[in-house]
Amino acid sequence: MDYVILSMVLLAIGIYGLLTKRHLLKVFVSVELIATAATLNFVMLVPSLGKGLGEAFLILAFSTDTCVSGVILALLVVVHKKYGTSDIGDLVKMEQSKEESEVEA
Amino acid sequence: MILELLSAGLIISACLAIFLDEAVYSVAALAGTFFLTSLLYAFSGAIFAAVFQFAVGAGTLAVLFLAGEMLSETPTKTSQKTLLLIIAVGVLLSLPAIFLSVSGTTSVLSGISFGEALWDLRAVDVVLQGLVIMTVALGIVIVLHEKRKGEK
Repeated sequence: MDYVILSMVLLAIGIYGLLTKRHLLKVFVSVELIATAATLNFVMLVPSLGKGLGEAFLILAFSTDTCVSGVILALLVVVHKKYGTSDIGDLVKMEQSKEESEVEA
Repeated sequence: MILELLSAGLIISACLAIFLDEAVYSVAALAGTFFLTSLLYAFSGAIFAAVFQFAVGAGTLAVLFLAGEMLSETPTKTSQKTLLLIIAVGVLLSLPAIFLSVSGTTSVLSGISFGEALWDLRAVDVVLQGLVIMTVALGIVIVLHEKRKGEK
C-alpha cells in the first residue's frame, strides 16, 4: 500500500474532472479532490518530515483549502445569479455573443 | 487489509463524485471521499489530521449540499450500467496504490515540535494566511452590508 500513488491517482482524477467537466459544481468537486490529494501527501509524509512540521503543513493546507472553497463557492453563486446557468460552455457562448454585439455596435 | 479497502473506497467515491451526473449525488460521493480520507488518517495513526479533515469536510459539505440543490438545473439519471462501469474504473484505479510502491523518503527534520515548526519555520505563511482569512471575512461583511443596504 503506497500513499504517494494513492495521492497521485486522486490528483489525476481531480485534474481529469477539472479539464473535462462543464458544470461549475463539478469543477469545484474536482478542486476539492486535488486539495484532498495534496493534504493526503502532507499527512503521509509526516514520518519523514517530523511530526511538528507535518502538522504545521497540514494546518496551512487545510486553511488554504477552506479559503479556496469559500471563494469558489461565492463565485459560483454570483455567476449563477448573474447568468442563470452553471455550464461553462454556455457562459463562454454568452460572453462571445456579448463581445460580438459590442463589436457590431 | 483495512487500509487497502479504505483506499479502494476512496478512489471509487472520488470517481463517483466526478462522473455522476446529478449534482446532489456527486456531492454525496464527495462526502464519502472526505469520510473515507478521515478514516484512512485515523487508521494510519494521524488522529489530529483525521479530526481536522472531518471538521473541514463537514463544513464544506454542508454549504456544498445547499449550493448543489440550488444550482442543479435539470435532474438527470445515471443508468445502472454506467454506475457499475464507474465503480469498476474506481477499483482498477485503486489497484496501483495497493500493489505498487515507490522508494521511501529520507528523514529531514525529526525532532521539531508543532509550535516551533509553525512559528519558526512557517511564520510568514501563518501571518499571510491570517491576512487572507481576515480579508475574506471583511469582504463577506461588506457584501452582506451592501446587500442589506440595497434591500432597504
